[in-house]
Amino acid sequence: MSTSAIRPLYWPIQWRRNEGLGALYIVLGAFVVLYVALFPGILAPGAVNKFVQGWFPTAMVAVAETIVMLTGGIDLAVGPMVSLGSVVAASTMQTPLGVFGAVLAVMALGAGTGTIVGAFVAIARYPAIIVTLAMSFIIRGTALLILPRPGGFVAPAFSDFLAGNHPTTIVLVLVLVMLWKLYQATPLGVGLIAVGDNAEGAYRSGVGVVSARMFAYAVSGVLQAMTGLYVAAQTGSGDPLIGEPLTLSAIAAAVLGGVSFLGGQGTLRGALAGSLLMSILINVMFFMDLPLVAQYVVQGLIIVITVALPRLRGARSHTA
Amino acid sequence: MSGMRLRLPLASLLLAGLALMQIAGTTPAAAAANCVQGTHKPPYKLGWANIYSVPTWMKETTGTIEKMADDLKKQGLVDKLTITDAQGNANTQIQQIQSMIDARLDAIIVDAGSATALDRVIADACSKGIVVANFDSLVDTNELTTKIDTDQVMWGKLAAEWLVQQLHGKGKIIVLNGPAGISVSDDRRKGAEPVFKANPGITILAETNTPYNAAPAQEAVTNLLFRYPEIDGIWSQGGALSAGAVTAFEKQGRKIGPITGENYRQFLEMWKAKHLTAWATQQPNWLAAFAVYASVRALQGADIPRYIDVPLPIITADNLDSYLARAKDFPADGYIYSPYDTKMFDDLIARSLKK
Repeated sequence: MSTSAIRPLYWPIQWRRNEGLGALYIVLGAFVVLYVALFPGILAPGAVNKFVQGWFPTAMVAVAETIVMLTGGIDLAVGPMVSLGSVVAASTMQTPLGVFGAVLAVMALGAGTGTIVGAFVAIARYPAIIVTLAMSFIIRGTALLILPRPGGFVAPAFSDFLAGNHPTTIVLVLVLVMLWKLYQATPLGVGLIAVGDNAEGAYRSGVGVVSARMFAYAVSGVLQAMTGLYVAAQTGSGDPLIGEPLTLSAIAAAVLGGVSFLGGQGTLRGALAGSLLMSILINVMFFMDLPLVAQYVVQGLIIVITVALPRLRGARSHTA
Repeated sequence: MSGMRLRLPLASLLLAGLALMQIAGTTPAAAAANCVQGTHKPPYKLGWANIYSVPTWMKETTGTIEKMADDLKKQGLVDKLTITDAQGNANTQIQQIQSMIDARLDAIIVDAGSATALDRVIADACSKGIVVANFDSLVDTNELTTKIDTDQVMWGKLAAEWLVQQLHGKGKIIVLNGPAGISVSDDRRKGAEPVFKANPGITILAETNTPYNAAPAQEAVTNLLFRYPEIDGIWSQGGALSAGAVTAFEKQGRKIGPITGENYRQFLEMWKAKHLTAWATQQPNWLAAFAVYASVRALQGADIPRYIDVPLPIITADNLDSYLARAKDFPADGYIYSPYDTKMFDDLIARSLKK
């Protein structure tokens, strides 16, 4: 009964999660084809690797933001957290702690900060937008206190390992997907979407609402800080401001990927596809060779159309 | 065996000869600029990797790049200029420079969004034989063709010396900086520090960190005016900051003491109209045009020094009018930069090569 009853359900449910993402997939597919047509060199293994390295930070923060948004919250401190992660990585790696110590320090930083934010939101019930806005100031200030200007040290071997010519980053994307599957298989993962969809219903069904929320913020914090570590490796340094634009990128990629501001709705694949579209747009715009001003217009139109398409279809089916 | 023995002294002789030539300041005829490798045939393809295209300073800067590229196009030296805008995002700038490498451009002009973030991608471009010229906001790596800049530490030092002199070594001042975490702001402030330290009569009442824009500076200075009834002088490290400060003093009806600044048009006009005691220098926008010119020269095989130090053009009461006379050629919220031509660029390259 156990496996035979579950198996037939798995794929239909997985398939249903693509609902509403059709337009994004089509637009994304079209841009992949366009990119290859404009720059066939991208198909070389080295070029794919470089592209994935450019996309990876946005993908990571999009996933981090998605986790928080699934609980019905939002995180405005993503960018500063990435900066702080890079600063901590670049200032601990030269100490006796070494690379291993730096990785642990960054993880602890992310988990610790995420738990604090989670406690304010889940236990004290402050609005996430206020808590994370306040947190963004604290984190930004801390990063500037540690490194008042870009610098620090990242072991070149570490940089080469993560963001050199090895396909490490591609492996990391796969690891991220597998960890997500693992997370979703735990009660905390099930609770993640349940509390965002209907917190009261989740509570009555025995979901630990507080623990699910706090854990979500902690996981998100770790992802954000690790993005900082990755950026430090990619750039070979720490920079107290490098993550700033990523807050908006993270939210935009998540929303593009069908993650709802209201919580309970969204998928990892959506966040990844959304961030991938944003990243690929940058390169396609480059190779299309349009004037700058036209690029902004085209970029904006593509994003609006991608978000609007599924809604248009939905509206039509409602009226029918 | 004998061949080995013969070759070794020959090699050391050659090395000694090269060293001698460098000491004498002459360069070997075949000397090429850093990163130049492989075949680069004119007309060249250039890329301008802009960090942020919106501020007026940046628009004027891009203007000097386009003009230089157009001039070189007419000479058959430039084929195409590709411009990207990272919209303030250093990660995007990395991606765009990577695309320029992929597109096999001949040269990349960079104003860095972060002093360190672009190091690896720029070194990568250099290793692939692409000329990289960096100006204004510099990167840390030296694996590029050339860095072209004024001395930002000197900027701060000269401004501080002028202010201390105006105050006769005694007075209460406020310090207006650019945003925290930006290398340029940090360097200018660093340059001023030893001067203030050497003059214990100077008291720094407060420091501000704002973007290099007039409105936030005006707000910050207004707050300081409420707090401090007596402010003798202003060490400002940006032209728009100075303009904001002057407006703030005026709105409060307070008398403004000596103030430093930049070639920001509004500030220069206020200086003239309100008879301020002021001093200004500038980050010339044409550093960008210079970067284009130096890149093309490097591609042609000329020796281009790794660092080209551009002297800061100073504006005082004596030459203020010569700047204001050209004001109409610049945007109202723009920067009136000093005149330039390729002859000047050649001289600056030659001067830096001798160093």
